Amino acid sequence: MSTFLRIPPELSGATQEDKCDAADSVRTRPRFFVAATLGEERFFLILAVFIGIFAGLAVVCFRLAIDWTRIGLLGAAPEPHMLRVLLMPALGGLLVAVLVIHFFPQVRGSGVNQTKAALYIFNGRIPFRTAVGKFITAALAIGSGHSLGPEDPSLQIGASLAWAIGWRMKLSKEKVRLLAPVGAAAGLAAAFNAPISAVLFVIEEVIGRWSAGILGSVVLSAISSVVVVRWFLGAQPLFRIPPLAVFRPAELLAYAILGIIGGFAAVIFAKAIGYLRPRLLALPQWTQYLQPALAGLVIGLIGYLGAPQVMGAGYEYIDQAMHDQFTWKILAILAGLKILATTLSFVTGTPGGMFAPTLFIGAMLGGAVGGVERHFYPHLTGTTGTYALVGMGVLFAGFLRVPMTSVFMVVEVSGDYSIIVPVILANAFAYVISRSLQFIPIFDLLTRQDGLNLPSLEEQREESVLHIEDAMKPPPTPVLDSDETVQDAALQTQQTPSNLFLVRVNPTGWGSITGDLLQRYACEGKGEMTLGSLLPPQRLPYLHPDYPLEMALRYVHQTPLVPVVSRADLRKLEGVISSEDVLEKYRAAIE
Amino acid sequence: MPEPTSNPITGRTPVVIATLTILALLGFLGVTRLVNRFQEQQKALARHLYEQGLAEQQAGKPELALEHFRAALTYSRDNFQYQLSLARALRDSGRTDEAETYLISLWERAPQNGAVNLALGRLAARQKNLDKIIQYYHNAIYGVWDSNPEQNRLNAWFELIEVLLRLNARPQAQAELIALSANLPPNSEWLLRAADLFAQAQDYEHALAEYRRVLHLDRSNPRAAAGAGEAAFKLGRYRTAAHYLEAATRANLQDAQIAQMLEISNLVLQQDPFTRGISMEERNRRIRAVFDEAGQRLDTCMNSEGREPNPPGQVDPLPQLKAQWAQMKQRLIRLGRTGESGLADEVMDLVLQVEQQTASCSATPQDQVLLLLAENRAGVEQ
Repeated sequence: MSTFLRIPPELSGATQEDKCDAADSVRTRPRFFVAATLGEERFFLILAVFIGIFAGLAVVCFRLAIDWTRIGLLGAAPEPHMLRVLLMPALGGLLVAVLVIHFFPQVRGSGVNQTKAALYIFNGRIPFRTAVGKFITAALAIGSGHSLGPEDPSLQIGASLAWAIGWRMKLSKEKVRLLAPVGAAAGLAAAFNAPISAVLFVIEEVIGRWSAGILGSVVLSAISSVVVVRWFLGAQPLFRIPPLAVFRPAELLAYAILGIIGGFAAVIFAKAIGYLRPRLLALPQWTQYLQPALAGLVIGLIGYLGAPQVMGAGYEYIDQAMHDQFTWKILAILAGLKILATTLSFVTGTPGGMFAPTLFIGAMLGGAVGGVERHFYPHLTGTTGTYALVGMGVLFAGFLRVPMTSVFMVVEVSGDYSIIVPVILANAFAYVISRSLQFIPIFDLLTRQDGLNLPSLEEQREESVLHIEDAMKPPPTPVLDSDETVQDAALQTQQTPSNLFLVRVNPTGWGSITGDLLQRYACEGKGEMTLGSLLPPQRLPYLHPDYPLEMALRYVHQTPLVPVVSRADLRKLEGVISSEDVLEKYRAAIE
Repeated sequence: MPEPTSNPITGRTPVVIATLTILALLGFLGVTRLVNRFQEQQKALARHLYEQGLAEQQAGKPELALEHFRAALTYSRDNFQYQLSLARALRDSGRTDEAETYLISLWERAPQNGAVNLALGRLAARQKNLDKIIQYYHNAIYGVWDSNPEQNRLNAWFELIEVLLRLNARPQAQAELIALSANLPPNSEWLLRAADLFAQAQDYEHALAEYRRVLHLDRSNPRAAAGAGEAAFKLGRYRTAAHYLEAATRANLQDAQIAQMLEISNLVLQQDPFTRGISMEERNRRIRAVFDEAGQRLDTCMNSEGREPNPPGQVDPLPQLKAQWAQMKQRLIRLGRTGESGLADEVMDLVLQVEQQTASCSATPQDQVLLLLAENRAGVEQ
């Protein structure tokens, strides 16, 4: 391995045995086989690249399938035949319902929370059948005009493919579990053609915690899948970004208003889904056949009555909105109708994603708010495209509640960092409003409605973390020095009620000694000897005040008192901590 | 499904990687075939929709064309031609802002593209933005064209001049025309177009030169002859004008204006008292005839009922002119005598004044002849 990758054996992390084996291999086997000694970590990185490639291939096919279905069902004409518009979503919904109920029961919904459940509950396992089912049913649903997007299904397809590839590899349980997020990032990156946003989304929404350990594989898989998709379908984004206007600082107010309106819209959207979904699920089983069809009928009716833009993922209409092709009134109507159509499609269990509809609603809402603002204040420099772009980030932050992704997604798709200030501001407003009015994020809500409880980055973010400094006690007196004699130490300690004393050991260590032991050394005639010469060679562990409190639990069982020392001067005692202190603090925190 | 063991990858790695690579290659091959088929289908759809759009546009229905071009672009998003057609349709349907946004995005992708710059130039012409007109048309003239670059460049140049003339930017138009004529190939069609534009820009000297270049290439070109005649007429070169106008008439060019110009030119030449080679008696006779006609004109106009009243506070000049005319009549006896060499010019000055002051009265070709004779005493013969 080390020869193969030209890494010196001493830096490769291999054991001595490995090094000897490797040396033998170099002598006796062709060079290629030296790679056979890859560690699991490195093999997992290579595997991540392959997962990305396969996920990319799958997503390319998925996108073709959606387009072919759409052309087949709705036609290729600029204005599809009205009868098709009216009926195809309903027929598609009926067929999807049959497939979901009889063949692929695991493919309902978006796929994001199912992937998260796979990571935390099923050891990363998403059966390959689920990928096949998701592919067919989501393509059928989106292609027939249901108001859903291809990104979340791609995420689940990627995760499922990753499992299908990785479970045979005899990886450790930990690595097998990580296959799901690696595949998810690949699938999402390929579908959205934006690797940074995909990685962040998977970390924020699927993994639910920041973990440097998995970042490398997630990034590799995301990038390789994007490369594959661009190889086949080109590098153009899903919608073209018009030139963005340079904004004046005073215009931030306009973007703040967009953030506030977007926050309320996100709450309405989330609450509608959260309210309707369990109620429809509770209806008799036979109604499950009809629910997607009825949702499709309503969507078809919306299209028939003049708003076919709400059908399907709607990226082409996002593109048109960004290029000023709709009035603000039309944009506002489309945003409202899309919320209705997506809610209906989603709550009826039709497989498909929320990613594209969220972007659609955000773009339309942003464009509409920008249009109204510019109507009253014509001197505003922001174009419809700029407001639409910020609006997309706003809905991402408010509805999906992925604040990091929401900011980086806008920057990544626009390729323009000048927009970051309005985006952060508007997203912050939307996020705060959504957080205040809809306490549980939408994907967590869906997971809980399914009877599962999975970790959430939002919960983690808002969890109060206790530190050592919260529980430590002031330094006890006296603190002895290792250069002092036993006699001097005994004199200093004889008036104190405590029996355990900390000793500062030169140059930087810490030790401890009891009053009884000092007395015994004095009786044994060792009064003139220094404490340093009598202390055992093992030093006490020490902590710093900013460490999390849970770190103290590792040491408090080893010694009754753990010194807490300054980071700037390890000989300076800031306090001490004992097991009682830790427990007392935790008890107080719970109460 | 068996639970995977936690056995690390050891000796199987090359086999696993080789297997995955083979599977990936097979996947690539399969997906390539699918994508190729998909793209062919998309291209065919896009082409069909584009052609429908073109037909709509040619039928003067830019709104319908717009929809078809948009639909074509959903199947072939990067097709430059479709994008350009969409932008043109947007412009033709009056959605200039949208068209501009679209064209600017195309221009950012291909700032040297002649067609895009021409479309932007036309848009700027609609917006009457002179700086942008010149900028984009120049980009188009010196830009890159996919087909017929020479012809497209010259067409763009001619179009720029036409736009400038339409916007009354005559100095810029003349400057462009002079530069253009220096670059024109020896092609009578191009030269004739340039000559017409010179005439439109009232640069008759250059117009005459261009028409002559055309006639040099094509002697029997009646349009060039007529143009040259008209340009010479405007320059007051009536002999030249008569020559070309007769040639145009001989070539069966039935045009009332040409005929009138020819008639006037001939009358001017017949009545011009300064024509070389005529006797002194004949010269004096012509001057007297011109003078008498001016007097009649003055009388007719003074007695005319339809004459426009003078502005308030302004003295009617005609009685004064009549008095001057009467005095000149007395002096006219001395015409031709020695020491009265400047009298002919004085007479013609008075004739000019009379014709100018009686311009508001209905004029006959003969009046126009008098005016032209009085104005162009030196150049009539040319």
